[in-house]
Amino acid sequence: MSFWNPKSISGKLTRMNVLVSGIALVLAYVSFLVYDLYSLRQNLINSLNTEAAIVGENSVTALTFDDPQAAENTLAALRRSPHIISAAIMQPDGRVFAQYRREKAYLPLDVSKLRDKETNNYWYEGENLFFQHPIVLDGRLLGAVVLEAETTDVASRARQFGLISACILFLSFLAAILATLSTRRLITGPLSQLAGTAQVVSRDQNYSVRAEMPRSSDEIAFLVESFNRMLEQIEQRDVALEESRSALERRVKERTAELSAANKELEAFSYSVAHDLRGPLQQITNIGFLLRSRLVGMDNRDDSRLLDKIFEGSTRMSQLIDDLLNLSRATSTPLQPRAVNLTEMAEKIVSELQAGEPERHVEISLQKNAKVFADEGLMSLVLENLLRNAWKYTSKREDAKIEFGFRTESAGTVYFVCDNGVGFSPQYTDLLFRPFQRLHSQSEFPGTGVGLATVQRIIARHGGKIWAHAEIDKGAEFAFTVPYGEPGTKPSAGSGEGHRQVD
Amino acid sequence: MAALRRRGRIFRGTACVGAIALQLAIGVVAFCQGKPSEFDVKAAYLLNFGKFMRNGNMATATSSFDVCVVGDDRIEAALSGMVGGQSIDNRPVRIVRVKDGTQARNCGIAYVSDSEGVRIDKDLEELSGADVLTVGDGSTFLAQGGMIQFLLLSNHVRFAVNLEAVRKTHLVLSSELLRVAYSIAGNPATGAAP
Repeated sequence: MSFWNPKSISGKLTRMNVLVSGIALVLAYVSFLVYDLYSLRQNLINSLNTEAAIVGENSVTALTFDDPQAAENTLAALRRSPHIISAAIMQPDGRVFAQYRREKAYLPLDVSKLRDKETNNYWYEGENLFFQHPIVLDGRLLGAVVLEAETTDVASRARQFGLISACILFLSFLAAILATLSTRRLITGPLSQLAGTAQVVSRDQNYSVRAEMPRSSDEIAFLVESFNRMLEQIEQRDVALEESRSALERRVKERTAELSAANKELEAFSYSVAHDLRGPLQQITNIGFLLRSRLVGMDNRDDSRLLDKIFEGSTRMSQLIDDLLNLSRATSTPLQPRAVNLTEMAEKIVSELQAGEPERHVEISLQKNAKVFADEGLMSLVLENLLRNAWKYTSKREDAKIEFGFRTESAGTVYFVCDNGVGFSPQYTDLLFRPFQRLHSQSEFPGTGVGLATVQRIIARHGGKIWAHAEIDKGAEFAFTVPYGEPGTKPSAGSGEGHRQVD
Repeated sequence: MAALRRRGRIFRGTACVGAIALQLAIGVVAFCQGKPSEFDVKAAYLLNFGKFMRNGNMATATSSFDVCVVGDDRIEAALSGMVGGQSIDNRPVRIVRVKDGTQARNCGIAYVSDSEGVRIDKDLEELSGADVLTVGDGSTFLAQGGMIQFLLLSNHVRFAVNLEAVRKTHLVLSSELLRVAYSIAGNPATGAAP
């Protein structure tokens, strides 16, 4: 810590104490010294004035009657005055009438420096003070007394003052340091303790620490107390928050468990319902065939047509049951991801579709090497649904086109199936993936309304997304992503093929 | 320092004027180079004696302070030359020439010249009992009953005092004056208070 630029409060206080006391002391020293020197000098001048006046009075007759001996006797009395080192009585013409020297060593007074003889005068030469007093009788100037006094005691007084002041300065410096020590104990100690605590709190987010209460009961104690109270409140709030959070979590878990149980039950129920529907339906179909064989040879067109209706209905019913079972399977079957070539899968589906309706002419384009890492059976369901839809909704077009491919977007690889079929209104996009929601009438385009719902579930189970763009009479595009593997199921790192796109 | 030096020069320039002032004080017509004569000095001393004495008998006070000269007229000329406008005890100083002691009884100071010769005794006789300071030149003036006698010592004019003669009158000489007297006859001794 540098003295002139302290970092801590106690350092600043020390500097302030030392500076203030130092300045006060120097000012006091200077003012006392000036006053003392002034009064000392004034006293000296006053006493010289008196002495000169007495000497002057006593020298009147000596001057009047021209008796230098008498004047020198008078001057000799100045021996009693400690500060006068030499003196002289001058005649008005400047000649020395009588003079005095305290010791022979002193030079005789230099009379050439006399001032205006009519008045009192004093002046300094070096350290010596000269005083001049006129001698007058009946208004006539007889001469002048000149005294020379040494001022060494003035200088020695200044030195004494300086010494005493230096001692006091040193003592006050010590006092300032002592004051700082007590300041450190009373103010800066608790403050830095508080600062340390605040640092711990902000760094570790630890609200359980408490600053130590200082012994005094001043503002700092109040500050520490408030700080501690604040910490306590924060801590309480934290505890309450934690409690409500864990309660919330618990509730969410309970709800999720309830929900998934209900879901499982529902799926199991729908699976069993679908499965169980198959038996009676098979029975109806079988009986239909029996009836038809009985009708062979009989000319009963009406009955035959009714039978056809029954077959038609049971076929649709069967389709519905299949779809429902698929939906159920898409939701509940455990995933078995592996490398899947979607292009090959699509080729197979398309050739089946063309085999079903050989008279239709559809322009098909399939991009090669669309590979994902996913459950093969489910992905096959996805492609079959999407391609079948495309096939179905382009059935009324002469120049039908169906395309399957993939592109790379910021979200990853996007696979798409698009066609130039009848499309649908964009405002119904939200309804597309809900079960049993259909945008076209059964007579126009037959269907169960379960297919896209199944597709959506499969993609969702693989952690992907599916969306659609369409406009009426301009076709539709279904696009989806299949991230590598299902969350929690790591893609097999070594397989290399299947989840890397190669153009 | 420059001011000081200038002051010094001014002082030296005024030294002559200072000398004139002193010589005025001791009664000499101003000549810078001229040394005052014996009579000039004596005349100045005579006037100054008046300043260092007082008359204890107020009844004899007159309207003027007369310095009377008995005999020698050379000192009268010197006195007249320097008295101009002077006063003693707030009384104007007059120089009066008298023939004998009788005429001098109302004077403040009576100067009895040595030229009076044998008449000195008679003059002093006539003045006895009067509050007049008698000053003389003669070497036996004090012995004859005079109060102050001029002496000439190595070209310096000094004076001696007969305190006994002064005591017979109401006159009091100041101790200052006695301090510079060359000698004092009668009690007290030199330098002591009267």
